[in-house]
Amino acid sequence: MNRLQWPGSTTAQAALMASNWVLFLWVGAAVAVIVWGLILFAVLRWRRPRSVGADVPLPPQFRRNNVLEIGWTLAPLAIVMILFIYTYRAEAGVEALVPNPDLTVDVNGYRWGWTFAYRGGPTVQGTFTNPPQLVLPRDETVRIVLTSSDVNHAFWVPAFLFKRDAIPGHPSAFDVRPERLGTYEGHCAEFCGYAHALMGFSVKVVPPAQYARWRGGGSL
Amino acid sequence: MTAAPASFVTTPRSDVLSWITTTDHKRIGVLYLTTSLMYFAVAGILALGIRTQLARPANDFISSQTFAELFTLHGTAMIFLFVAPFALGLANFLLPLQIGAPDMAFPRLNATSYWMFLFGGLTIFAGAATDEGAASNGWTAYAPLSEIKISTGLGQDLWIVGVFIVSVATILTAINFVTTVFIYRAPGMTMWRIPIFAWEMVATSLLIFMAFPALAADLLLLFVDRHLGGHAFDPAFGGSAVLWQHLFWFFGHPEVYVLILPYFGVISEIIPVFARKPIFGYTGLVLAAFAIAGLSMGVWAHHMFTSGAVDDPFFSFMSFLIAVPTGVKFFNWIGTLWRGSITFATPMLFSLGFLMNFLLGGITGVMIASPPIDFQAHQSYFIVAHMHYVLGGGSLFAIFAALFFWWPKMFGRKLREGLGTWCFWLLFIGFNVAFLPMHFMGLEGMPRRVYTYDAGGTLPLLNLIATSGSYLMAMGVLLFGWNVVVSAFDREPVDSDPWGANSLEWATSSPPPEHNFDTLPPIRSERPVFDLRHPELDPSALA
Repeated sequence: MNRLQWPGSTTAQAALMASNWVLFLWVGAAVAVIVWGLILFAVLRWRRPRSVGADVPLPPQFRRNNVLEIGWTLAPLAIVMILFIYTYRAEAGVEALVPNPDLTVDVNGYRWGWTFAYRGGPTVQGTFTNPPQLVLPRDETVRIVLTSSDVNHAFWVPAFLFKRDAIPGHPSAFDVRPERLGTYEGHCAEFCGYAHALMGFSVKVVPPAQYARWRGGGSL
Repeated sequence: MTAAPASFVTTPRSDVLSWITTTDHKRIGVLYLTTSLMYFAVAGILALGIRTQLARPANDFISSQTFAELFTLHGTAMIFLFVAPFALGLANFLLPLQIGAPDMAFPRLNATSYWMFLFGGLTIFAGAATDEGAASNGWTAYAPLSEIKISTGLGQDLWIVGVFIVSVATILTAINFVTTVFIYRAPGMTMWRIPIFAWEMVATSLLIFMAFPALAADLLLLFVDRHLGGHAFDPAFGGSAVLWQHLFWFFGHPEVYVLILPYFGVISEIIPVFARKPIFGYTGLVLAAFAIAGLSMGVWAHHMFTSGAVDDPFFSFMSFLIAVPTGVKFFNWIGTLWRGSITFATPMLFSLGFLMNFLLGGITGVMIASPPIDFQAHQSYFIVAHMHYVLGGGSLFAIFAALFFWWPKMFGRKLREGLGTWCFWLLFIGFNVAFLPMHFMGLEGMPRRVYTYDAGGTLPLLNLIATSGSYLMAMGVLLFGWNVVVSAFDREPVDSDPWGANSLEWATSSPPPEHNFDTLPPIRSERPVFDLRHPELDPSALA
């Protein structure tokens, strides 16, 4: 159940997604409680007791109520409008690309491994038997440019609350700004064949100085 | 002793050949239902294989390749060979009866559709007998994974051909339904008096017209790519891997509503009977069905939020809007229950189970229509949970409701109610035990379509719970099979209207004669059989 709380502090983008999730969770819970409650109430309140036979008089045969029906069309409409406005703003923040990222990494997915090519820096490669690690500096905006050299894959770091498809011939870019030190698991999230389940990687977020040392050829 | 009246089952010509050559809509309906239930049994066994493999982390019950074949055939069979064709079979049986017609508009086309469906399904499964095994790229068969460079096996080709045949059969049947409902209605049966189920089938058929040709085109392009030198989905030659997804989901999302609208119709027929009230907001329900159908044509790319290739906000907005007509339907069903005189026969239990389960599927549906949530949930077990709450908790429960409700009309004897109640509770509890934990697996970071997962964290426990739920469901399904067997020996005759129901199929004998009706009652509302039972009530005076 603790997974209902999304880790919003791992990246700047995750904070936006986590607060959007909380809103949907509460609205969803409220709708569930109200509608489940109405169904159960109606079923229990107006069940026909076993003691009465089939000869009880008919219940009232009403079949419409225009005011109610217009009301329960407009109310959900209002709710989804509000949800959309909120979600639109969260999404714009998550997908915004800064003009000058601090660091750009070209990520390539292939059957079955990943290549992380730091522009102007090292290239890390690893297959599913020896998963690669993506080292990122904390508090710097990282541009990931994602593609694939064979079939569709998807780059997913659950702790960052984000994934993006790696589609051959259709590169796409997103920014991520890590804010918490740590090592996070990543998976391929798009089925890509028999070793799909094993096509993992990890992301290690380190202080900028440590990152610079690693990039210069030092150890972590 | 008088002989039992001849029915469509026991005509003078009731040998095997007469069933093979039949053009009677009721027999074709029964063939459709039986065949789709057999495919359901197979797809269910495949699901048990999947759940058994995932019961423990790093399990070696089956190989990665077998696992991929299992989830591919499970999804393909459940969607193309069970949930959709069950609705087609039910509509085949019911539509002419509900509108007071002697048969479908095109009886021979109808038979053609059935046989194409049967053999299309067998073609898909035939892949399992080939050297490289059955298709193994999921029911979505994303290119370029499904291109011949990667998927060299004949299984993928048989999948393409089989699904193509089934999709053409579906289009032909939709033509038949629309024509039948529009022009074969009995005198007095105006469009605003046809049962909600018939309306939902009209909306479903219109969706089939628009969606299935895109699937057929997608499949043809893939076949041309694989064997005739095409490059539609091959970026190395100017093709586009995104194109497959666009065509597939342009079909695939309306398809979701093809899989649910008929079952909205089913429970809209059943709830009024067991609440002893007219359906609440008939007009609203019909308009909502068409609103859902219309909107569903504009939401396909919400399956592609993470592709970076589509306008996420537009498709998000359209997807949110679908919640509005769906909500209207929910409130109308609650309005039908309101102040009713409610009894809990098995069809009603399954209909209420539908409401409870489907609500959760609808709520998670609104969640994943929000791109910032979908970025996390997409292709994870959260999606698996969501879609099973819609198609398993929703459609499957309505299917069982329909089986228990219309079984006496089809075969002249009721399924046993006691066994039916047990069947319901096993399925209801089993379903929720199996699929509720999958929400948490997805949030924990478990991708879908994986045959193994890490032993750390809560995933092993959640998976074990889910697997035990799937076994409970299997027991429920077995109990249904047992019910079919034992009730076949019941000799208690069923009259024309065992439930005290509303629509016209309950005005003829159970099972109906080959020509459907000897006489038709006057049709003055959407529930002519109710009006017949209650001549003291004037249908036009009911507000």
